[in-house]
Amino acid sequence: MGKRLSVAVQGFHPSSFLSEETARLRELAQDKKVISAVSGGVDSTVATLVAREALGDKLLPIMIDTGFLRAGEPERVKERLAISPTSLKVRLVHASGRFLASVKGEETAEEKRKKFRETFYQVLKEEAEKEGCEYILQGTIAPDWIETQGGIKTQHNILEQVGIDPATTYGFKIIEPLADLYKDQVRTLGRHLNLPSELSERQPFPGPGLLVRCIGKVTKEKIRVLKEATKIVETSLAPFNYEQYFAAVIENRFAKDSSLKAISETAREALGLPRSEVQVEVFEDRVTGVKGDQRCYGLLAGVKLSEESRETYGWLQDRLRQLQTGIVEQFPEVTRVALLVKERRGGGNMSILVRAVSTRDFMTAAVSSVPWKILKDIGQQVLREENVSRVYYDITPKPPGTIEFE
Amino acid sequence: MTTIPVVYVKGQYNHLIVRNLKELGVESKLLSPSVPLERLESMNPDALVMGGGPQSVRSPDQLTGELADAAQLIRQVKLPMLCICVTHQLLATAFGGVTEAARKPEFGPVEISVIDEGRILEGLGPSFTAWESHNDEVVKAPDGFHVLAKSNNCAIEAMRHDNRPIFGVQFHPEVSHTLKGVNLFKNFLRIVEENK
Repeated sequence: MGKRLSVAVQGFHPSSFLSEETARLRELAQDKKVISAVSGGVDSTVATLVAREALGDKLLPIMIDTGFLRAGEPERVKERLAISPTSLKVRLVHASGRFLASVKGEETAEEKRKKFRETFYQVLKEEAEKEGCEYILQGTIAPDWIETQGGIKTQHNILEQVGIDPATTYGFKIIEPLADLYKDQVRTLGRHLNLPSELSERQPFPGPGLLVRCIGKVTKEKIRVLKEATKIVETSLAPFNYEQYFAAVIENRFAKDSSLKAISETAREALGLPRSEVQVEVFEDRVTGVKGDQRCYGLLAGVKLSEESRETYGWLQDRLRQLQTGIVEQFPEVTRVALLVKERRGGGNMSILVRAVSTRDFMTAAVSSVPWKILKDIGQQVLREENVSRVYYDITPKPPGTIEFE
Repeated sequence: MTTIPVVYVKGQYNHLIVRNLKELGVESKLLSPSVPLERLESMNPDALVMGGGPQSVRSPDQLTGELADAAQLIRQVKLPMLCICVTHQLLATAFGGVTEAARKPEFGPVEISVIDEGRILEGLGPSFTAWESHNDEVVKAPDGFHVLAKSNNCAIEAMRHDNRPIFGVQFHPEVSHTLKGVNLFKNFLRIVEENK
């Protein structure tokens, strides 16, 4: 027997997928050069490997440094993909200044995403012209076009499915070998292609990266704080095998609408605590959610319990679920609920949100039960950052939240 | 081979229904609700599954776009049918039931109590956890249908036609967090096989 065969997801056979797809790609490219947009993530890496099987060295992998990647990531990805078995020669295109300028002053999630998409394809267009390429290959998967088409959120890599013709707009055509697959199927395909587990099981990172984890307006300082918090959260949660976990940053500006006071009352009832123990604040910046298959760009409620109650309730997943559903059922404007883990009086004007979920295909997601002690440790470390005064844990499943915040 | 197209009404999980069916060995793909009846017939389908979507069903004469087309299919097609979420509401409305804004909408995990397994929920009683995402709900099942399941917030989580193999469920059996969802599809396939 010797070699262990990769276990196929039922109904999806990597080897037949591979032979059909490589044949299609050869037919399409007709021996011409194709640019492949890589990010180091599993989708674009697997798409690139599939295309290389078909096109060999006619395939030119490039990676755009958008400035919204994690600290040191572009260089790390380039080095990692260069070695065997991927052995991809990735060219880095530095464009962080352009991306930051393009989202300057934008506050809403969709505007930020659309500006990002525009800059992303402008850069690709220039690269395609330089190389004389007719085709750009990208690692789009099923949830990307499903969410964009359904109006849940604009994924940066979706054009044709929402009626933008890349050929007339940007002068190139797009190839998406994985467009019908889900994340777990892509991972299966990656294992079939001998991708080492650190790459095939890598946790997903959104195309627009930290841009969509920097809620509301983007500033250099917010991005800097977020990069630090990202390191802490990723390091602390890595041992737990959650499918997705990360940090986001939001400014401590709260809505003053008096009707929102009723939310505190609902929270108090859901938890069965006296009024003095529970306080709910609602952030001014909106966050993305999905209710009844509709995008819901709604409010984020931050629930603060007295320190003693927090110690008890932080461990009680069922109670937190009641808290979250209680608020979201009664207040259609509220999309997400986060629980305060730790705060520092007199600190700066930013909050860090911690998110950890379990999900098979990223279409639905359950909140992971991160041990309360771990959350407190994360809080302790993150609060060393001067501009941060609060750390929250997001207790919203998808739906009604989404996995990312914007 | 069994062929079951999935009517795509723009819901996020519609494509996951295709995935579920394919994993059970069924030939399946997404189909626009505006598909002409002759073209649907030329595919020789054994059944139809209809997914969820972002639209709202309030009254039968105010349906637009995909849902107007899907309602036509519901009335015209004489195959076994499974309608999920918004098309469950559409099914109810098309047959004379009533859909309204839910007093308490449901998002995420919901505990479903089985009243009558009605074959489609075979093995799922007395209760199971399903994931949901809906602002509206069926408040009155049509004549000729009976209610199979309920939740704390919603009285009609599942229903079936009294003598035809037509089923509606408010929850989403196709998402991976509805752990027993695959059993529901298996039950549906058994019913489809018998109907062939």
